[in-house]
Amino acid sequence: MTQTATEPTRTADGQHVLVVEGLVRRFGDLTAVDGVSFTIAPGETYGLLGPNGAGKTTTISMICGLLEPDDGSVTVLGQQMGPRKVAPKRHLGLVPQDLAIYPDLSARENLNFFGKLQGLTGTELKTRVGEVLELTGLSDRAKGPTKEFSGGMKRRLNIGIGLLHKPTLLILDEPTVGVDPQSRNAILESVENLSGEGMAVLYTTHYMEEAERLCDRIGIIDSGTLQAEGTRDELIRLIGGVDNIALTGSGDTVAVAEALRALPSVAQADAERGSLRLTVHDAPTAVAQIVTAATSSGMQLSDVQISRPNLESVFLHLTGKALRD
Amino acid sequence: MRAALAIAGVELRRFVKDKGNVFFTFIFPLLLVFVLGSQFGGSGNAGRVTITGPSSDLRTAVAEQLESQEVSVSHATHNDMLEQVARGRTDVGLVVDEEAATAYSQGGSAELEMIASSSSTSMAAQQEVQVAVSNLDLRQLQVTALEHAGASPAEASQALDEAAGQVTEPTLEVVNVDSLAQEFQGLGQFDLGASSQLLLFTFLTSLAGSSTLINARRQGVMARSLAAPVSTLQAIAGQSLGRWVIAFFQGGYIMLATWLLFGVDWGNIGLSLLVLAVFALVAAGAAMVLGSILDNEGAAVGAGVGVGLVLAAIGGGMMPLEIFPDTMRRVAHITPHAWGYDAFAEIQRHGGTLADILPQLAVLVAMAAVALLLGTWLLRRSMARSL
Repeated sequence: MTQTATEPTRTADGQHVLVVEGLVRRFGDLTAVDGVSFTIAPGETYGLLGPNGAGKTTTISMICGLLEPDDGSVTVLGQQMGPRKVAPKRHLGLVPQDLAIYPDLSARENLNFFGKLQGLTGTELKTRVGEVLELTGLSDRAKGPTKEFSGGMKRRLNIGIGLLHKPTLLILDEPTVGVDPQSRNAILESVENLSGEGMAVLYTTHYMEEAERLCDRIGIIDSGTLQAEGTRDELIRLIGGVDNIALTGSGDTVAVAEALRALPSVAQADAERGSLRLTVHDAPTAVAQIVTAATSSGMQLSDVQISRPNLESVFLHLTGKALRD
Repeated sequence: MRAALAIAGVELRRFVKDKGNVFFTFIFPLLLVFVLGSQFGGSGNAGRVTITGPSSDLRTAVAEQLESQEVSVSHATHNDMLEQVARGRTDVGLVVDEEAATAYSQGGSAELEMIASSSSTSMAAQQEVQVAVSNLDLRQLQVTALEHAGASPAEASQALDEAAGQVTEPTLEVVNVDSLAQEFQGLGQFDLGASSQLLLFTFLTSLAGSSTLINARRQGVMARSLAAPVSTLQAIAGQSLGRWVIAFFQGGYIMLATWLLFGVDWGNIGLSLLVLAVFALVAAGAAMVLGSILDNEGAAVGAGVGVGLVLAAIGGGMMPLEIFPDTMRRVAHITPHAWGYDAFAEIQRHGGTLADILPQLAVLVAMAAVALLLGTWLLRRSMARSL
């Protein structure tokens, strides 16, 4: 069952850009997506965070009308989506995980082609192609075949194609997979800019840092099921919202632990040989008081380490496994 | 419709931009037309005669007579002439030796030796030689008679020319009764090779080009297209149209280039283009089938070339159907190539009209319908598989 931290936001007229309700998709005996539900409001960046094979791409395929769900529904700006529906697709811009471009055509030819598929024609098409080439920094390489592009340039073109028709909802499926750090940062910046301009974004990733940096709300997905969703802080609170402090030094650690347990910010204190492991509320605020109390109790401190929970911890807590490939 | 046109347009653009296609699409077909025309093409006239012997009035007169009967005349040494006859490169060898030339110039009786080849057109060429020699013989007798009546040789020749100009001479048309020779009568040297190579390359190029369909599917371009406001039907229509445009482009190029370079007579150009258009539809459907059932681009190119060559070999794309045994000729008509071959033969050789080629067109349309429907169904399945 999905743990929801907050009620998702809505537009003034109460309409979400995307409403996904109870999506189910099976491939033979395998249930790839099992009852996934979430919504995205205008201007919101929603992250689907999960490991490879969690069901992210299958969910996106159903949202884009490429796959028919076995159960559940997808609504884009109030319009029902499905493989036979054409109209709602106008609101979506898909940036697939694979580089879905023609390598033997130039960047301009690729943009022209996909622009035509989006219904752009004449001056509007020409203008938008020019703008996207500018936006992606490919203007000076617009005429060369894309097979001669670097990986980062191809990724930028891949994203640019999704932006051609100024979609209401941009869907990016793991856009930074296999990208060098510099290009990756450029991609993340461009997503931040688009979000800042009011575009709703659905962003799937298995990189915790990307989800934390970009997303207003995050859905944690594993084995086809949405395990939890909310803002970063809300998700962390779902697992208790506590921090860890490790004190290393000499002295009677058992007695010191006893003393520290009396502090209101300390939820738990365990003594080990030469160290103390504390579970505390709001570590940055409480650490000074804890250090003072420990030294007052006779402990000679040599090291203090604070660790705060992140989405990795949340994922581990929810699924019992690490958020890695 | 706009989306389908965009997909078809991009497919043609990719085909033209592929440097690997330059040789096999633009150069190789013309090379084959040239080679086939040079080796096997008919001369387009009433036979081939090779004359051997020293230069003389008789040799010149015989050659002029034969050429006036549209016989192709060449000169060679005795040994070369014998070799040409033996290899079927000429229909008849004619020996005009010094003795005969002297006898002719003196108004006497000259004997010419004729060596016939075993070619199917040899009989007709022999008849042409006999007619030419008879004409010369008659003229010689007439000149001799006038000289005996007191006219000088020049006056005799002038009188005969004037007399010939005042009457309409009966013409003797030598008809070759060999059915094969009759079938190819009037065909230009490169005409037969051009139509057969058009069929071969239109189909082969289309099949080999099915690899781009696999490429688009595997690279996710097709999925991305379907995420745009484009229905599955529009996407499939675009791919079908793209295949058809490529096939028609290939065939149209061969038609234009062979007409310009080799003077190939395509008969009624509108009807020839219609046959090409319908044949290209069959090729487009076959390419969709191949591009949908295979998932590997290299395999598609290999299979496309293989299937294209085999179908062409069976269907008259490599050798004229007319030389096939009856059973093989019936078998050939399981291929669209044979029906296309028949339609082009009707248009090129017999000045056929639309009514004359309707049966062939009907069969090709039926084949196209089956191939396109099957291709659509398979492509739909393969697209679903790739999503």
